[in-house]
Amino acid sequence: MASLPRRIIKETQRLMQEPVPGISAVPDDSNARYFHVIVTGPEDSPFEGGLFKLELFLPEDYPMSAPKVRFITKIYHPNIDRLGRICLDILKDKWSPALQIRTVLLSIQALLSAPNPDDPLANDVAELWKVNESEAIRNAKEWTRRYAMDN
Amino acid sequence: MEESMTTSQGGESDMECSDNEFYDYYNSNDDIDIEQIDPRNIDPEYFEYNCLLEEQVDRLLNETVETLSNNLQIPPSLAKVLLHSNQWNINEVTKKFNDNSTQTLIAARIEPDAPPSSLLLTRLSSYVYCSVCATLQHFENFHNLSCAHMFCNECWTMHFEVQINQGISTGIACMARDCIVLAPEDFVLKHLQRPNMREKYQQFSFQDYVKSHPFLRFCPGPNCSIVVHSKDIKAKRATCNQCKTIFCFKCGCDYHAPTDCHVIKKWLTKCADDSETANYISAHTKDCPKCHICIEKNGGCNHMQCYNCKHDFCWMCLGDWKSHGSEYYECSRYRENPNIAHESVHAQAREALKKYLHYYERWENHSKSLKLEEQTLEKLRSRINQNVMSGLGTWIDWQYLFTAANLLAKCRYTLQYTYPYAYYMEGGSRKELFEYQQAQLEAEIENLSWKIERAETTNRGDLENQMDIAEKRRTTLLKDFLDE
Repeated sequence: MASLPRRIIKETQRLMQEPVPGISAVPDDSNARYFHVIVTGPEDSPFEGGLFKLELFLPEDYPMSAPKVRFITKIYHPNIDRLGRICLDILKDKWSPALQIRTVLLSIQALLSAPNPDDPLANDVAELWKVNESEAIRNAKEWTRRYAMDN
Repeated sequence: MEESMTTSQGGESDMECSDNEFYDYYNSNDDIDIEQIDPRNIDPEYFEYNCLLEEQVDRLLNETVETLSNNLQIPPSLAKVLLHSNQWNINEVTKKFNDNSTQTLIAARIEPDAPPSSLLLTRLSSYVYCSVCATLQHFENFHNLSCAHMFCNECWTMHFEVQINQGISTGIACMARDCIVLAPEDFVLKHLQRPNMREKYQQFSFQDYVKSHPFLRFCPGPNCSIVVHSKDIKAKRATCNQCKTIFCFKCGCDYHAPTDCHVIKKWLTKCADDSETANYISAHTKDCPKCHICIEKNGGCNHMQCYNCKHDFCWMCLGDWKSHGSEYYECSRYRENPNIAHESVHAQAREALKKYLHYYERWENHSKSLKLEEQTLEKLRSRINQNVMSGLGTWIDWQYLFTAANLLAKCRYTLQYTYPYAYYMEGGSRKELFEYQQAQLEAEIENLSWKIERAETTNRGDLENQMDIAEKRRTTLLKDFLDE
């Protein structure tokens, strides 16, 4: 295996030394490109109190290509589908090599605070979010309690 | 007396006085004008275009780039970005640039919309930190675009290679977050060493340039690299001089006169959606309306003659052919139910399907006839060979039959494309005129097809006369209905 680029080493060191509040990202023991991530549900959001597990993988041509990120914990959110895939512009066409793991995770945390039902990935969720927001928020809280609070 | 002497003797003085003395009937240039009638006026399908090779397109684009670069005093690579983002309209770019150069450069993503912060440009030492690879390197190793975001050369190279592998070329932006400044050609090429990467980049950007140029169209033929050039952006017929593909210059799809580009797109989508129903309903065989024997259509002509009872009938409407040879030919016209507005939704849906099927069947039938007539042409070829071998005329003597077959294909093709036109046409006198002309064309084409299939027994003069009539009908229809 090719040696790890300096950029990835630097980023990993900084994530360990100055962790982002509410986010933990730890590289896998056997693969330094694979990170175990935990994001806490933001305050004043339906996800408050939950701990959400994600996986993050840095592809071969990182940072020229965006990292691959996926929710492992089930979550009721209009921009995240059943498989945990995330609809976020900086992970797609708005990716810039100057962005980092830290900025990506912060953006995901911000997405939990501000769902965007007009650019949906999970259609049924987005639909309810638009038609009946209070019921959608109730569902999101229920899912958070059921899937993101134990363990 | 002297005057008449000079004129009758001719000579040099003749030229001087001919203007005011009398009209020189034989030596005037007027008759040349008569021969040079503008073909646009006679031929509704007249279209001026060139088929260009890749090098010729490159030359054409580079000439425009050079002119703009000289006019505006900017480097050629920036002139190219400007032209690419302004549909290669050099006059418009020049005007925009002269009005407001800063805004024009920002709009083309050559300059950042906010001036680069001075911090980015000041260097504290001869070493600079590259935020992408997280290394400290000598500043000579760094490059930046107009936005002043500095990154090391290796990172630029990697960035460009990853983008090119995704098929992106003219749209590669700076690596900084939220920065949309584009990397011009010379900047990209400066960072690409690998020959296959340079080649890929040039190939992709060439495609982008041609696609953004309103006067250029790639030939849609498979593996054909010809680019058609015309200053007339109209839905006219272009024929590739290499692969012979015929297409509409405006939309790049199959030629479709007299229907226009967006209508034919709508029609083809509809046909693709409904094809199963239509296929199910229109079977390949029909029964003779008189003796009810099952008949399979094996030629392009719609004038059928039952081999069993010798009854002449029309394949499309199953009516007696007698009524088709005259001006009462109405098989191409769809008769709408006048009381449809008062009928139930169900009946209206049935009527809508019936109407669509009427046009679809005729459209599909002509398409099939075109294929069958290709076979007729093959049979014709072998029969002509036999004739020539047995001393019945020379190869050249029989050429008129091929001309006739080609003309038939051309006419039937246009006729096929009149059906989507008629389907989307609103009712009224214009539609009546259209369907009248369509019916006329239909009748003449069937006559022509009948005569070609029976070429040996048809008199040559008779056939050539029929060809002339059919082509006249076709151009008349196009003249009246092919939108400019």
